[in-house]
Amino acid sequence: MKLNHFYKLSHIIIFSFVFFTFKIFAVENIDERVKKLTLELRCMTCQNQSIYDSDAEFSNDIKKIVKNKLKNGESERDIKKFLVERYGEYILFRPLMNYNNIFLWSFPFILLIIGLFFVLIKSKGNKV
Amino acid sequence: MNRVFILTPLMVLLIICVFSLAYLLSGKDPNKPPSALLNKDVPIFESSSLYNSKDIIKSKDIKNKKTLINFFASWCSPCKIEHPLFFEIRKKHPELYLLGFNHKDLTSDAKKYLEDDGNPYDFVGVDSDGLIALEFGVFGLPETYLINEDGKIIYKFMGPITMDVLKNEIEPLL
Repeated sequence: MKLNHFYKLSHIIIFSFVFFTFKIFAVENIDERVKKLTLELRCMTCQNQSIYDSDAEFSNDIKKIVKNKLKNGESERDIKKFLVERYGEYILFRPLMNYNNIFLWSFPFILLIIGLFFVLIKSKGNKV
Repeated sequence: MNRVFILTPLMVLLIICVFSLAYLLSGKDPNKPPSALLNKDVPIFESSSLYNSKDIIKSKDIKNKKTLINFFASWCSPCKIEHPLFFEIRKKHPELYLLGFNHKDLTSDAKKYLEDDGNPYDFVGVDSDGLIALEFGVFGLPETYLINEDGKIIYKFMGPITMDVLKNEIEPLL
């Protein structure tokens, strides 16, 4: 009888331990995700600071919103879309891959091709 | 011939750079990024009156009327600077609906502010948690939006409105 009680109690302790461990892990995981995402967002009221690094009221509001949205299971992509719809692409440190930014993303490759072209011309000239 | 062959890509690159730079710098102030909501529908909102919590205003209530929305707070000093200009707007354009959103403020402070400086608004909505401001993409007070009869945001101004802004930017749109 006593042994039965002991088993029940140990089960409760183990389950509680597992439950709280997962809970703490989930909170830490969310905080990590908030940090990762807010490091990619620009504080609109500060000079060159991310929302994560800033203590401005605007940044604190965005941090809260990001945390709530992550808790509600929204993806990082959805959260970024939500913020871009309201604050514009300016809020993102990393520009989106879209039609407007095609030149921005392709420019390094254009430079590379032109550079290679000149190297080729130069090497041909040296051979002669 | 060989020289032209080498210089052509360089010239093309230079032209691309000049045009890109001109495009990037054309009328863009990094301190005042353009509103993402410009020419888009006014965000959906619902707010109770500062004076009577049962009196509610919704986004659909401002349809079919030109509306000037101003986000302000009693703790915001630049708001105090632009405040008298709303009386000017009120006097010159009585047909314009003036909607003020009291942002993250104490009700008592907001009431006292409007009592001391006067209340130019047709309706003062409460935005105590800042969620309405978030929907409008507000990131600093004061901010002012002009909404046309179709419910589209046609103008946004960040910071305190001045007489110049009123005359040269807002009034031509009214």
